[in-house]
Amino acid sequence: MLNFIVAPNSFHLASLEVGHHLYWQIGNLRVHGQVFLVSWFVIGLLVIASLLATRNVQRVPRGIQNLMEYALEYVRELSRNQLGEKDYRPWVPFIGTLFLFIFVSNWSGALIPWKLIKLPEGELAAPTNDINTTVALALLVSLAYFYAGFSKKGLGYFAKYIQPTPILLPIAILEDFTKPLSLSFRLFGNILADELVVAVLVLLVPLFVPLPVMLLGLFTSAIQALVFATLAAAYIHEAIEGHGEEEHAP
Amino acid sequence: MFDFDATLPLMAVQFLLLAAILNVVFYKPLTKAIEDRSDYIRSNEADARERLAKAENLAKQYESELAETRRQYQATIVAAQAEAHTIAAQKIAEAQQEAQSQREATQKELDQQKQAAMQTLEQQVESLSREILDKLLAGV
Repeated sequence: MLNFIVAPNSFHLASLEVGHHLYWQIGNLRVHGQVFLVSWFVIGLLVIASLLATRNVQRVPRGIQNLMEYALEYVRELSRNQLGEKDYRPWVPFIGTLFLFIFVSNWSGALIPWKLIKLPEGELAAPTNDINTTVALALLVSLAYFYAGFSKKGLGYFAKYIQPTPILLPIAILEDFTKPLSLSFRLFGNILADELVVAVLVLLVPLFVPLPVMLLGLFTSAIQALVFATLAAAYIHEAIEGHGEEEHAP
Repeated sequence: MFDFDATLPLMAVQFLLLAAILNVVFYKPLTKAIEDRSDYIRSNEADARERLAKAENLAKQYESELAETRRQYQATIVAAQAEAHTIAAQKIAEAQQEAQSQREATQKELDQQKQAAMQTLEQQVESLSREILDKLLAGV
């Protein structure tokens, strides 16, 4: 729990809350309620948009179908560029959902004035500015590339750890830890930092001055979603391809 | 800031659920739509290409038929002209021959009549000269 800047009590136009959470108790588990509230909003948005787009599929797309087809083609292209023409199809839903979920989360955090909705504790924001969300997504990516490697090569997947030379084995093992770490912290740090910068500027100068930073924040949010999805696809590709086309024993 | 709790696994489960739902309501139908559309476009394009090829073949065929016809009618014209020439020449020759023969016949008749006239003239000259002689001699 830390407050970066303690706003004067008389000046309640804006304040910063980092580390304050709306805790929900489920059995003996504690969860961050505000993260789930916004993530349900994001999930609802995505599902409703998909349902609207596919309710009446036309050969000549119009309106929302056009938009969602554009999104689909975008993530298909992203997966194909990383995974190659042969293997990308089964991974499109995973990588595409990563991209869409992170992108809509980031932008909903940046565009929707959640502050207007008061919570007992904590505040609504992008789900991706909570470390739990980003670590969850990063661990899923790790699981996904292990799954991809094992389903493609079986135990031969382990050969990639000693492939060029066994000397690099520790580094290869370390990589499996640094990948989810860097994935999760990159996303978390960028989104949280962006929201903090905007909040600090709003705190100092409430009008107009934060606007360029907010625009920059939108840009960063989109880029981070793209980076996360692209890296996930790249890791999966690496697990599938391995080092060259040597023996694929058992 | 870094307090991990049950949010993490629940978020992971929730994300997988979202991926599964979107797979059914978003990825599958729209991928199918996109692929159907590209199939449709591809087949239409192939069809159109085939038709274009057919049309070009037809045009080529018509052109060759046209050329053939043109050659035929030119040949016909040439043949007709040649025939007309020969007929004309023949007719001219016949006419000339006829004219020649008529002229000759006329000439012959003319000669005959001239001869006959000469003969009668000669006889008359003889009778006249005899009469003149008689008259002259009667005076003597």
